[in-house]
Amino acid sequence: MEISLPTFDFLVVAPEIVVLITALLVMVVDMVIGREQKGRLAWVALVGVLAAGALSYYLWDGSDPALHDMLAADGYALFLNLAILVAAALAILFSLEYTGRVGLAQGEYYTLLLLSTAGMMLMAAAINLMTIFLALEILSISLYVLVGLNRAERRSAEAALKYFVLGAFASGFLLYGMALIYGQAGTTSLAGIRAAVQAGGEPSALLLVGLGLMIAGFGFKVALVPFQMWTPDVYQGAPTSVTAFMSVGAKVAGFAALGRVALYAFGDLQGDWRWVLAVLSALTMTVGNLAALRQANLKRMLAYSSIAHAGYALAGLAAGNAQGTSGLLFYLFAYAFMNAGAFAIIIAAGRFEGATGGGETLDDFAGLAARKPGLAVAMALFMLSLAGVPPLAGFLAKLYVFGAAVRGGLIWLAVFGVVNSVISAYYYLRVVVSMYMREGRPAAVPAPVCAGLQVGVALAAVAIVLLGLWPGPIVDLARVAALALLGG
Amino acid sequence: MTVSQVVFILLSIAALGGALGVVFARNLFRAALALVLSFVGVAGFYVLLEAEFLAMVQILVYVGAIAILIIFAIMLSRRMMSSETQPWNEQWVGAVVVAAALFAALVFILSRVDWPATEAQVPADSISQLGQALVSPDFYVLPFEVASVLLLVALVGAVIIAREQ
Amino acid sequence: MVPASYYLILSAILFTVGAVGVLIRRNALVVFMSVEMMLNAANLTLLTYSRFLGDVQGQVFVLLVIAVAAAEVAVGLAIVVALFRHEATTDVDEANLLHG
Repeated sequence: MEISLPTFDFLVVAPEIVVLITALLVMVVDMVIGREQKGRLAWVALVGVLAAGALSYYLWDGSDPALHDMLAADGYALFLNLAILVAAALAILFSLEYTGRVGLAQGEYYTLLLLSTAGMMLMAAAINLMTIFLALEILSISLYVLVGLNRAERRSAEAALKYFVLGAFASGFLLYGMALIYGQAGTTSLAGIRAAVQAGGEPSALLLVGLGLMIAGFGFKVALVPFQMWTPDVYQGAPTSVTAFMSVGAKVAGFAALGRVALYAFGDLQGDWRWVLAVLSALTMTVGNLAALRQANLKRMLAYSSIAHAGYALAGLAAGNAQGTSGLLFYLFAYAFMNAGAFAIIIAAGRFEGATGGGETLDDFAGLAARKPGLAVAMALFMLSLAGVPPLAGFLAKLYVFGAAVRGGLIWLAVFGVVNSVISAYYYLRVVVSMYMREGRPAAVPAPVCAGLQVGVALAAVAIVLLGLWPGPIVDLARVAALALLGG
Repeated sequence: MTVSQVVFILLSIAALGGALGVVFARNLFRAALALVLSFVGVAGFYVLLEAEFLAMVQILVYVGAIAILIIFAIMLSRRMMSSETQPWNEQWVGAVVVAAALFAALVFILSRVDWPATEAQVPADSISQLGQALVSPDFYVLPFEVASVLLLVALVGAVIIAREQ
Repeated sequence: MVPASYYLILSAILFTVGAVGVLIRRNALVVFMSVEMMLNAANLTLLTYSRFLGDVQGQVFVLLVIAVAAAEVAVGLAIVVALFRHEATTDVDEANLLHG
């Protein structure tokens, strides 16, 4: 029997491989170093993430290679890699002091963080139902564990259980949808499905049911209404650094695969899915914003706000055109900085509360501007950007997706989005008001903020200002990435 | 009725009976045993569909590993065996309505689609073809490798979550 | 010879029963079992199509899904055991420290 060695162009998946190898390296180093040196694992992880980011950028030469109908390193995947790696790098910087404070097992923490990152990158690159499913499970299972990693906290274990049960349920729907699509198209490759859809004439109802079930599965991952009910509990119960990571990474990966399936594989059936996504988008932003108005706990408020942002981003997808797609990509990139940054301030605020685990409520933020002016400025920037105040990144991101929705004929959706942004300004500004206008009590623990976290917050804050003022380079990249998906 | 149709009906009874047993049994342990029955029934369908290798994997992994793990978990949390708490939550009416609608839609569509009248011929060496496809660089070695990453994640994750403080 | 639609309708029933189990039962372990049945139903669909299309992809997919299911169960049960240490319950709905 003849055995042939794999003839892969490994360069295609080099960023993913670098992240995976770094994860293994962290595991090995974790075993050989002493207890007091565990903090160094973060630097190993950070170097791996930065290397993968550099590779993703370097690999991007417009040739859009693919590996055997399974994974692609096209512009779409590489752009999303950058957003995912930004989230991972920021999360690592935010974890430096936090993991020690709440007593997370650092070796496993960074290993799982990197494995989850690899899963997200694979999902962005996946061009086959099999690889989409496997990548989704890699990122989900490592996130279930990361959410429950704070074993001293019972809320953390509860959040992990809730996330797991609903996540596995959603995987079931996704898989059943994939099975139906496979049966109708006769292949699991997205290119094959696209060809079958184009050849088919009148689409079979089962194909559409399959697509609907897949949208439900992805909808759970990115927290679309009505699949959002897990979000506040999980975001609140998880260690805050994990929340910062998953609130960005899981959304980027979910939208990546949803975009590929809807825009590429089912691109010719736009008329059948666009209105569904548009309705989901309007529902999602409204429900998220209305619930966020009532929250006094900032982690919960940001959880609902992240639901609302999933709705805004979905508007770009529902637009169904190239502007919408590049708008969605820009949105996800900007969102990585502003949302992760906001959670970082919560991590920093928890530092002043000692071991009580506080620092999450609006009252804890009262008078922060007097105590920590730098943090307060950064938090104000993140809040304003999330609210969509010009000239910050969040404003431009919304402008792009709503503009694309108008061009796609969904004027009502754009109106919905604008009204929602106005509503959301109330609860974002409430945080700013609390920091600047209210008297606060002195910090329980007058501790300095970790230098790594300061660097991460500063980078994120600078990034959202720069993205708002000089969006050109990133917008151009997003446009190229969108064309790589849609063909142009 | 041919032999395969009789077998199909028997297997359906096993798979569906087991499934209903899982959902409606009040005792956890019985639910787990019903689950085993359902898994075995599905393995029987795999044999009927001439995928003997997958039938064996189904028995080994689902019955041999997954069901046994679940039974271990039941016994590790012993209180559950005695306490037969309120089995259904309050949303069962809505759940049944939603599920019935989903089911009706699926059956309606499934019964209207034209299916290939005859089965494709199964090649005699289907197992070796499956094996080759799994490790051949031109076919599915890539998802196969990705699955190994998944197993690593599960290994690390399960150990860190379940181990004593 | 059993027609394909019989298998497909049967797996649709199995899938629905599993989904009902997830939605109406409170116990985390029963919910797990129901999710496993949903994955089984999806596998049966995949394999049926694979058989009637004469295509090997479905079989490969089923094999991968079985690996995924095993990984999911290992982690899920670890989470249940960890939670049980905290509060001696496996009731999904009772675990409501976090209010909506």
